[in-house]
Amino acid sequence: METLDRPAIRKLMGEVLAVQGKTLPADDAAKLADIGFRSLDFSELALRVEDEIGDELNFEAAGLRSIETIGDVLDLLVEIQGQ
Amino acid sequence: MIGDNLVIDAGTGARATWRELAQRSAGPRKSPTAYAVERSIEALPAVAGLADGGELLVISSGRLDESLAEELRAAGFDVAVGDDLRAATSPRPADDGRVWLLTSGSTGRPKRVGHTLETLSTVTGELAPRTWLCPYSPGTYAWWQVVTLGLGVPGQDLVLVDPADLDDWVSPALEHGVTAVSGTPTFWRRTLMRHGADLQKLQLKQITLGGEPVDQAVLSQLSEAFPDARVSWIYASSEVGASIVVHDGRAGFPVDWLDRDVPGRPRLAVVDGELVITSPHHGTDASGAELAGAVRTGDAARIEDGRVLVTGRLDRDELNVGGSKVSAGAVRDLLQSHPEVAWAAVRGRKAPLVGTMVVADVVAGPGTDVSADDLTRWAAERLPEYAVPRRIKMLAEIPAKETLKSDV
Repeated sequence: METLDRPAIRKLMGEVLAVQGKTLPADDAAKLADIGFRSLDFSELALRVEDEIGDELNFEAAGLRSIETIGDVLDLLVEIQGQ
Repeated sequence: MIGDNLVIDAGTGARATWRELAQRSAGPRKSPTAYAVERSIEALPAVAGLADGGELLVISSGRLDESLAEELRAAGFDVAVGDDLRAATSPRPADDGRVWLLTSGSTGRPKRVGHTLETLSTVTGELAPRTWLCPYSPGTYAWWQVVTLGLGVPGQDLVLVDPADLDDWVSPALEHGVTAVSGTPTFWRRTLMRHGADLQKLQLKQITLGGEPVDQAVLSQLSEAFPDARVSWIYASSEVGASIVVHDGRAGFPVDWLDRDVPGRPRLAVVDGELVITSPHHGTDASGAELAGAVRTGDAARIEDGRVLVTGRLDRDELNVGGSKVSAGAVRDLLQSHPEVAWAAVRGRKAPLVGTMVVADVVAGPGTDVSADDLTRWAAERLPEYAVPRRIKMLAEIPAKETLKSDV
């Protein structure tokens, strides 16, 4: 199964924001709340990743965690591919 | 009415007692009135004023399309959207104390079910004092369940969070001392993923799930995250009331609850894979006649390991995006109203955090080059955020099998 690396997921994340006229900051520590990246945007990003890899992501495998920054999103989506 | 119970609007931090809310009511209107509101708090003065009379229906403004507004006006309702009041086309006097809820009928169109504050209040006996979070969409049965708790049961305060603000509910819940939270499984999944660390700070005593199929994974995760809380799930709807209440922390209900006759309790059955309920908590139909007999719920049910699992809607028109209801047909109609769109099909797709997202297949008209991103942006100008199709697949031609369908 194909998997996406961190830069590829970052590119998709930028595309989600670009449709809304927003720009993804270069700093992974940027807060999602500050850039207006909300639950619907996260969900859309997950679907874009699923479409790219041709498989459903298993979020049950992620466990309890806080997702507050760009880096948190990228970490999560890199981690759960293939699980 | 319990006038001293508090209502707190998490969006603004404003707080008021029910007595104060009743004083803000303009008094009972002589005509039945449908209030289309963006935010829960906007509907509460009219709800508090019901004690003095009036007939009302509350609906989230995102759910009110033109045809539904016309349907309501023809049924005698003035339709209030903010300060705009559109008079009924078939006026009639208000039936004092009548409360109408909208549900999805078997054809996918909402239908009205009549209640009163009494028939909506299913909690009996004394409750320990609680501060409840109400995260539901205004006017839904679950919303009324929480609202009538605050309105009618001593010591039950409410903190209102609107579905659009659910990303940030934990902070106001901590600030206002929330001890009981009722939410859909989607709400809880999103919460567990997004706020894992902060959740430990909440001192929850009661967790309730309802409004969607409840699976074992979410129940187990909640029991682990909140070891001091009772975790319950409820099956309820505007037509059959709160018919199934399960406190044992397991998905589904015991199979020996089926086909059992207990006075004053709903009779549960599974017929052709569909949950069927004969309930003493019925409302009325649109004509005001008492609903009676078995109700086909439209929910799929299956028996597994001695439990009856309720697994989802048989009818897929109504999508639930993070607690907000979206009519797939209404979104499809909007996309098909775009001058460069020839055909569209809209459906829900499983997604993290919000449970379901709206997605679409679209065929562009001949000689046009509209893109998926163009359509998403165009739809975003016309629909609530949660109803916008985020993934649109452009097809070269209308699928042959789809042309045989009359509806989504």
